[in-house]
Amino acid sequence: MFVRLKLRMTANNFRGQPWRVALFMMGVFFGLWWAAGGFLLFAVPGLAGSEKAALLAAGFGGGALTLGWVLFPLVFFGVDETLDPARFALLPLRRRTLVAGMLAAALLGIPALATLASTAGLVLSAGALGGWTAAVTQAVGVAAGLLLCVAASRALTSAFATMLRSRRMRDLAAIALAVLAALLGPLQIGLITAAETADWDRLVGPARVVGWTPLAAAYTLGFDLAAGRGWAVPLKLAITLAATAALLWWWSWSLESAMVGGTPTAAGPRKAARGGAVDQLVPRGMRWMARNRYAALVARETRYWWRDVRRRAGLITVLVVGVFLPVMINIAGNARSPGTVSISMIFVGTLAAVTLANQFGYDGTAYGANVVAGVPGRLELRARVAAFTVYAGPLLVIVAVAMSLLLGEPTWVGLLLGTLAAAYGAGLAANLFVSILAAYALPETSNPFTINTGAGVVRSLLSLVSMLGSAAAAVPMLVAAALLGDAPAWLWLAGPIGAGYGLGATALGVYLAGDLLDRRMPELLASVTPRR
Amino acid sequence: MESALAARGLVKRFETVVAVAGIDLDVPAGSFYGLLGPNGAGKTTTLSMAVGLLRPDAGRVWVLGHDVWSDPSEAKALLGVLPDGVRLFDRLTGAELLAYHGLLRGMDPAVIDQRARELLDVLALASAGRTLVVDYSAGMKKKIGLACALLHAPRLLVLDEPFEAVDPVSAALIRDILQRYVAGGGTVIFSSHVMEVVERLCSHVAILADGAIKRVGTLDEVRGGRSLEDVFVEVVGGRTATGEELAWL
Repeated sequence: MFVRLKLRMTANNFRGQPWRVALFMMGVFFGLWWAAGGFLLFAVPGLAGSEKAALLAAGFGGGALTLGWVLFPLVFFGVDETLDPARFALLPLRRRTLVAGMLAAALLGIPALATLASTAGLVLSAGALGGWTAAVTQAVGVAAGLLLCVAASRALTSAFATMLRSRRMRDLAAIALAVLAALLGPLQIGLITAAETADWDRLVGPARVVGWTPLAAAYTLGFDLAAGRGWAVPLKLAITLAATAALLWWWSWSLESAMVGGTPTAAGPRKAARGGAVDQLVPRGMRWMARNRYAALVARETRYWWRDVRRRAGLITVLVVGVFLPVMINIAGNARSPGTVSISMIFVGTLAAVTLANQFGYDGTAYGANVVAGVPGRLELRARVAAFTVYAGPLLVIVAVAMSLLLGEPTWVGLLLGTLAAAYGAGLAANLFVSILAAYALPETSNPFTINTGAGVVRSLLSLVSMLGSAAAAVPMLVAAALLGDAPAWLWLAGPIGAGYGLGATALGVYLAGDLLDRRMPELLASVTPRR
Repeated sequence: MESALAARGLVKRFETVVAVAGIDLDVPAGSFYGLLGPNGAGKTTTLSMAVGLLRPDAGRVWVLGHDVWSDPSEAKALLGVLPDGVRLFDRLTGAELLAYHGLLRGMDPAVIDQRARELLDVLALASAGRTLVVDYSAGMKKKIGLACALLHAPRLLVLDEPFEAVDPVSAALIRDILQRYVAGGGTVIFSSHVMEVVERLCSHVAILADGAIKRVGTLDEVRGGRSLEDVFVEVVGGRTATGEELAWL
């Protein structure tokens, strides 16, 4: 029943919307791609006859897979809430039926199928090492592992959703997750460097340990059998099933509270407001501005970058990545030339600018207020750029100064600043267009991790496009750096030239995109309005 | 008499569904105009097109003689809008939100301060202090939205479901304010599916169903001696229970 309902809802989603079908197909494509990659990774060690490598792949690969199932929905993609538990609250369903049904429906998605396909590689691997009994055991393990993955991800997101009913909690959690997500990148780079230097044999031990945790127990079954440790199989299976059962119990428990709903009303601070309404709107540091439309827009945007969690999460990402990435590239690497430094600076500046790629999506339907008030496009964009730069500007300066000190080349600070400013300015110009032409709606639900199925693909595509566009716009700086190298004149000239280039690009972007915005305001509003 | 709001041949199609199928509307200046219709009749779509939030597929709209789509700045300056199901910039406090709207409308800061204080007092929102609008109750959100629409003293107020999810006390307050606004020479057009409110407030009524206007005129013309509810149900084509079906109830 639940499975049919889910299929029907997915199908209805496509009706009359070719682009949704296209997105779905892209999702399928990426799913297949991942599945194929995973399959190879898992199957090759077994086929090559290397027991150690197989254990490594199963232990760490399987563990990472399970962890990924737990973390990714929280951090990046959101859960596929095609079936929202709250909708079943009024139906006379037993909890057990509901959990079983929802689980079955959850198994029927691209991620679940891709996981199954890739872990099927383990079956092949185990079969090659230990004959068909090992293969069959491993097949059971793969199925159990998939159940565990799905149960874990659903249980965790559902528990989070209930825990995060109150807005304040939700805001805090979202920020914590943003920090975590931002740290994933640097962590990954660290791991890769470690992997390159580490002695593989020493890792077999930890892989064995991981294989005994619920994370990867299911994925190492077949190899134990192949290695003659048949006694481990029922134990590991029991571990997996017990973990799954515990998670399902947890899920069903939190499902109940999710269905009952009930928002605890957060008693907000009722401090008396001081001063007139206009003085309250304009942040303290901006009191010198004339009180006009521009000030109102800048003030609101400045407050929003801080008060809207999604925006603050974006800022945090820029901060963490902006600091870590250049450090990783330039300190860890040996080559310290103005060229490589410039590239990393361009990346940071671009990344900062890309934060604005869906700036209107953050506003959602609230943007209607500006449409009704008839705010001119250029004014709107100029204010948005200015407000964001209030946060991004100092950040970029800090990055430049910190980098030049860390590199032990204080004279490079001008070059770094100039490159950053050029990349940031050019990126802003590119992203203004992206934000108008390719805005998409963010959901307005109680679950902060929900995004509509398919929107995840749009989001990654959009970031990619705006990244490329921004980077392309910053190419002249790179060319200059490559041609002139560390000629002293260039070190000093790069600062002003880069700043000028960035400013000019932004001004041109605002000028042209403002016109575009004037013509497309209602269309833009429609594209950031969530479908109900 | 000049129309405060005039629409000719408004059409809007969403994919395959025709939401609004050619609407003509004349809202006389100084009138209290009720736009009635069942859910999904096209009320919100019509009003959104009238205020420049949604581009019509065909047709034109004038606010006090200014074309909303070809002369938006003039038309929009005369408009105050309270949309339904649309978020406000809700990460601001009530006072900040009012200041934002006031400055966007190009008002003098001193006037904004004074009017914001009055509006917050009258609408009983001053006690909310530094609470963000996102944490307001549904009724408070409607009230702050109305305050934003009123702040720049527009000549025409367009309100989408102003009484939805509002408690009786706040509703009485909103009615009071709107009546005073009309008495002062303003024009109000609002959508609703609550007969009592429309019957009590409106001088003119239009009944909308399936994206087209079925009845239009002054309240008495439309009623024709019957209760508005009877006319509405008849026009919309709803059925009245005969007592035959649902006998098991």
